[in-house]
Amino acid sequence: MNALLRIFGAPAILLVRSIGAVRRHGLDRRETMVQVVEFGSKSTLLIVSGLAFFGAVLVTIAWAQARKYTGNITVVGPAYFELMVREFAPLLVAVLAASRIGAAISAELASMSVNEQLEALELSAADPLAELVAPRLLGSLIALPALFIVGTVASAASASLVVTFAFGADGGAFTDARFVEAPDIVCAFVKAVLCGGFIPLAAAARGLEAKGGAPAVGEAVTRAVVDASMGCLLIDFVVAAAFILIGV
Amino acid sequence: MIRSLGASTLGLVRFTGALGLVLGRTAINLPRLSLRELMRTIVLFGYRSIPLALLAAMLIGSTVVLQAGIYADKFGARLYTGWAAGYALMREFGPLLLGLVMAARIGARNAAELALLSINGQIEGLRGISLDPFRILVAPRVIGSAIAITTLGSITFLVAVIFETIASYFSMNMPVRVFLTPFDEMLRASDLLGGLAKTLVFGLAIALVSTVSGLRARGGAAGVGRAAAAAVVASCAAIFTLDLLLTPFLTKVFS
Repeated sequence: MNALLRIFGAPAILLVRSIGAVRRHGLDRRETMVQVVEFGSKSTLLIVSGLAFFGAVLVTIAWAQARKYTGNITVVGPAYFELMVREFAPLLVAVLAASRIGAAISAELASMSVNEQLEALELSAADPLAELVAPRLLGSLIALPALFIVGTVASAASASLVVTFAFGADGGAFTDARFVEAPDIVCAFVKAVLCGGFIPLAAAARGLEAKGGAPAVGEAVTRAVVDASMGCLLIDFVVAAAFILIGV
Repeated sequence: MIRSLGASTLGLVRFTGALGLVLGRTAINLPRLSLRELMRTIVLFGYRSIPLALLAAMLIGSTVVLQAGIYADKFGARLYTGWAAGYALMREFGPLLLGLVMAARIGARNAAELALLSINGQIEGLRGISLDPFRILVAPRVIGSAIAITTLGSITFLVAVIFETIASYFSMNMPVRVFLTPFDEMLRASDLLGGLAKTLVFGLAIALVSTVSGLRARGGAAGVGRAAAAAVVASCAAIFTLDLLLTPFLTKVFS
């Protein structure tokens, strides 16, 4: 319970304080765009390749199940596709982004904090929360839904390519959007946005509190990545359960 | 464009070479492994990660059932829910998600520790007093993390199945006996072994990749951060790649 409070409490406090800091100091738009590029374009390769591989694996499993019990991929294909869009793509994009973005943010902020560059910022009348945390938060909020779209397209494309060329069946059967409805897409985007907000906050909370020398930086990165990925798993579970409870 | 392509290709080749070197020297040092260090690694990476693995198992198990339940109702295949949930858990999602979480926990920590030693020149120090760093530092870590992750994998599977059962009882009103029957009738030991084999390979990959990025770290506190971040990202990439390579292979071997 303590650990849970720690994972969500520090980012929540940081969120409130960052919003306050932005209202006092204003937001650096240029820095925000830099962060969007940093998170979005530099994570694209990892997320596209990861999700493309995952799509191929998922369709291999669907194929094995189809041959064993139902006989035809067109029966299980659409259901797997809905599952991919609604559940697995947001989850995997979030966990991958938690590693990539979370590690980058915490490493950067922790090494600044250890070298006392944050105090230097404060001395020059700049608020680290407005200058550093808020742009990263906004950047990740914009980048993650975009990464989710790219990742889903990559996984669907690789899945239908595998079906067509490796199994010799109709590749379109897998990407049949028969079951994909508006609530599925809303559910996926809610997950992407919530995780996109949570990852930079959790990472920044761990990065900012780093004190000491180089060991503190390593410790901060480890804790940040663990916090971010566990938090994303938890957020995904809660959102999925909530959407099922309200029955969509 | 071409310059950056060339640079990243060179980087990849260097990384692969370093990976091969670490793997080779670990294998050579296997017979004279430092047992004390091995035990320390298993406690540090395995025992200390149990709470995290349990939390991940709870979430994986409940999520898999919540999703499988929708389709079970849609296709009228409630009796198969147990099979679908168990198969998906052991063959795919258990190993994959555990691998990703452990890449964060074990990979980042291992890389940070080694990066620290390497930046402070302590690894040269070891060589200076004629101790082989691969024997007392690297080999125990690689073997220890692989053992730790595989063991955590089996615990994770067990806990996740328990939570699948609980979740199916509450979300689908499925009697425990009905949910668990397909485990007996339709799943085989080979499904479990296939999943554990995947976990073992992922564990080895995490250990090797994080060791290499830790040992290659250069340049102060920022270097430690960069090494840990690179270790997590590279481990995740390696896990997805290996997953793709292993799934068709394991389906053939264990089916």
